[in-house]
Amino acid sequence: MSMATEKKLDHLNWPLALCTAIICALGVWNLASATKSLPDPLWAKQAVMMGLGVVAIGIFLFVDYRWLQTLAWPGYFAALALLAGVAFKGKKVLGARRWLQVGPMQLQPSEFVKLAVIVLMARYFSRDETGARKGQYGLIDLWRPFLLILLPVALVMKQPDLGTALVTFFIAFTMVMFAKVRWRDLAILAVSGVAGSVFAWKRVLKPYQKDRVLTFLDPAAYAKGAGYHAIQSVIAVGSGQWGGKGWGEGTQNQLSFLPEQHTDFIFSVWAEEHGFLGGLLLISLYGFLVLAAIDVASNARDKFGSFLAVGVAGLFFWHAFINIGMVSGALPVVGVPLPLFSYGGSSVLADMLGVGILLNVSMRRFMF
Amino acid sequence: MLVRRDADDIREIRPRAALAALVVVCAMLVLVGRLYQLQILRGNDYVAQSVQNFRKSLFVPADRGSLLDRNGKTLVDNRPSFDVYMTPAYCKGREKEEVMTKLAVYLQMTPEDVEQMRLSYQKSWVKDRLERFKPFLVEVDIPRDQVDVLEAHHSELTCVDLIPTPHRNYRVGPSLGHVIGYMSEVMPDEIDSSQNDEDDYSYRRGQSIGRGGLERRWERELRGKDGKENIAVDAKGRHLGKEIDELLIPEGERKIDATPGNNLVLSIDARLQEAADTAFPGRAGAVVVMEAKTGFIRALVSRPSFDPNKMSMRISRTELAKLTGDPLKPMLNRVMTENYHPGSTFKVVTSLAALEKGVIGTQTTTFCGGGYTMGNHRWRCDKPTGHGALTVKSALQYSCDVFYYSAGDRAGIDALSDMAHRLGYGQPTGLDLGREISGIIPNSSTINPATGSLRAHAINASIGQGEINVTPLQQAVAYAAIANGGTVWKPQIIQRIESPDGKVLKEFKPEPDVNNGREGKLGVKPEYLAAVRAGLTAVVNEPGGTAYRSRLPDIRFAGKTGTAQVVKLGQKQNLKTDAQQYFSRDHAWFASFAPAEDPEIVVIVLNEHGGWGAEAAAPVASKIIKAWSDIKKQDDTKSMARAEQ
Repeated sequence: MSMATEKKLDHLNWPLALCTAIICALGVWNLASATKSLPDPLWAKQAVMMGLGVVAIGIFLFVDYRWLQTLAWPGYFAALALLAGVAFKGKKVLGARRWLQVGPMQLQPSEFVKLAVIVLMARYFSRDETGARKGQYGLIDLWRPFLLILLPVALVMKQPDLGTALVTFFIAFTMVMFAKVRWRDLAILAVSGVAGSVFAWKRVLKPYQKDRVLTFLDPAAYAKGAGYHAIQSVIAVGSGQWGGKGWGEGTQNQLSFLPEQHTDFIFSVWAEEHGFLGGLLLISLYGFLVLAAIDVASNARDKFGSFLAVGVAGLFFWHAFINIGMVSGALPVVGVPLPLFSYGGSSVLADMLGVGILLNVSMRRFMF
Repeated sequence: MLVRRDADDIREIRPRAALAALVVVCAMLVLVGRLYQLQILRGNDYVAQSVQNFRKSLFVPADRGSLLDRNGKTLVDNRPSFDVYMTPAYCKGREKEEVMTKLAVYLQMTPEDVEQMRLSYQKSWVKDRLERFKPFLVEVDIPRDQVDVLEAHHSELTCVDLIPTPHRNYRVGPSLGHVIGYMSEVMPDEIDSSQNDEDDYSYRRGQSIGRGGLERRWERELRGKDGKENIAVDAKGRHLGKEIDELLIPEGERKIDATPGNNLVLSIDARLQEAADTAFPGRAGAVVVMEAKTGFIRALVSRPSFDPNKMSMRISRTELAKLTGDPLKPMLNRVMTENYHPGSTFKVVTSLAALEKGVIGTQTTTFCGGGYTMGNHRWRCDKPTGHGALTVKSALQYSCDVFYYSAGDRAGIDALSDMAHRLGYGQPTGLDLGREISGIIPNSSTINPATGSLRAHAINASIGQGEINVTPLQQAVAYAAIANGGTVWKPQIIQRIESPDGKVLKEFKPEPDVNNGREGKLGVKPEYLAAVRAGLTAVVNEPGGTAYRSRLPDIRFAGKTGTAQVVKLGQKQNLKTDAQQYFSRDHAWFASFAPAEDPEIVVIVLNEHGGWGAEAAAPVASKIIKAWSDIKKQDDTKSMARAEQ
């Protein structure tokens, strides 16, 4: 056993683990600045959650990830049940029902839904023989996975939490990309989707309808006047210049001009206080994390592991890309947390489990 | 078996993984590019915006310059007081409602004021986002106990600021209302047009600006320059304390002191002003007291007037409506923006014109038989039995009309008009105190033949009726020229402009009234002027003179009574009978100077609808001259006492 453990530790993906550790450390440090004015030491809570995550990863690493296949369906239905629970008994904050009170803790099931979807999709694509039989998937052949995704995504949309719904969908979509779907069909899907929404936005929707869509995208922002969040966030980011204003010195952050500075807009705090160089560092770390995940996928022992890694890569990529794009004013404001940076126990735990999956798959790539 | 097929599949995944890696790298580069654009390319703009977010400028209002009378007595100064401002951006929605409800209670606002506050709030909510960060004025000059209440509730009223603002303190009441003017809130278009001013004289919302009189004319001198205090606030507009200020705001920008405005020293003598105001009995009219040898004004009354304290943003809409709707027109400065028939006071003009034309001599006589006939029209004299043979002196003394009908008829309308213009009538005198009207002096080219022959016009003009219209200020200028021997002075009311520490910045010297066409020279032979002065002296000092009853025992003064007929009002005026009666009564004039032998001051009294000049105007002038003489003695004693020390 000890020999095996030692050997496994040799096989641990150290660069990936180190990269995660650095992001976690910077995240807690940044959170301490973002929540300086709050009475609660939220950064400590966040660190505790990360510690819990590390423990969970440690235990999980002893188990072969293939065991997750047996958990795929139960996990999926459990996630659905939690979402249904949110819909009926959830706690309403700022017009949205996203949280479930579990004892002293607040749980955000939609964060775990993403993991459930990743596991289920990985199981589906690693077992489904349609692709192999036909050589390639056509669009019609994807109706089953599509239905499986649609159900949780619809429930998340209902909360409403468009950001998480979108990300969940994007993650699943990314995994489909890695299945043998005909390129032509993918292209048709992507182009018609983009063209359709652009046309609808420019020609079909009336201004008040657009307003409704925008309000739907981010109700809190509209409550305080159009685009206030986005404007203040861009000011925060832009005023960071090369080197930033220094930890705890960001005026946008410290004087509360930045909205939700410890959750969705945490990157603005980072960019304001650490500037372009800090931003470059953080984006590089996320980029490295995603590339490492793709590397894990390419070298996995089996298809299930490979798809798991692709899913987790998608999880980190879409969150980081949409969040940073949104707070820097390049994308519309949809509430999406920045992995391991935004404050939130459920999200941190889910992200840590995602890293755990990557490490587990990576560790067992040589074992047959 | 299974494993190998999996391995094949994974090998097939690799090209897609490579592509995905490429997409990821590109996406991250896009984000980095966006950061570069925001932080490096536009960084300076966003730094400025972030500074603007937390930086709040409080104005430190400058002390407005004071107005002093000729002896240094303060007529207008400032007293500390507090204004209430609200910044719309810092209270929105429900908070706004709460704050407004509380303010209405704490400040005991009238529904009208509350409505005004809501309106101002709404107006700030325009497209320009910066507008809502500009505080607007809620209530001006609140009493001390309300200041205490607001300070006690400061934490509930985060968007409300209590700004210490020096307010105008008019110590003179309504008597100098038209001279001094008043202050009111600056209008949006005035703010806009002031933004282009280079000298940093731009106005901001809620500030006050001089209206009318000297407050308006000398706005720039009086205003001074506001200082600034920059503080740091959070997103809710809360001040974060001195330490944060020191951290975020460079020391040089934290506080910029205000520069107080300059002081105006008027030629008005407050004691004489008060005496003139007290002496004047009428409901409406004007008094001008001017130095005969310089043109400086010692007292100026235009009644009815307004209280500058009240007019300066403390007047309610109903009170203002009452003021502007008053048939006596309190906002009208009767000294220079209203004209009247001069009546018999105009006889000095006819005298000089006729003497110069040679139609009468200083000693020649004209017979008054009680009337004057031209063609088939007969003009009556005041004394139906006639005055008999009169020289120019006795004609002035008794105010005989027939003498002047004859003299005016023979001199002609153009000679009268020319002399009037030379004396300063028919054109603005140039008093630098806002709008001034010209009055009307007709001549042969302006007269419409349909209104009567030129001779008839000349006859009417000779006793200051017909089309002749003059302002009280023009009377002062003309009588001063007669009194001082032929210099037509431009009337002035400011002697000096002084810096706050008393340094003289500008001194005003007597200036001839160049509007008269002869560079301020009357150009009349001294003996003619002497003859007229003798007549005016006789009016007061010789038995039978029309103002003989108003003579003073210890000071000889000269003057001319006038009773100007008023155009009868038609029934359409729709006035009550007593008002009708009032408005049909004649205007009473008295134009005088003192002392008669070496005139120092000119006193003009116009008692609107006062009746006879001898009864309703001359006694007033007499009292004012007495007061002037007493003040002069008092000052002489004082300066002698000072010289002895």
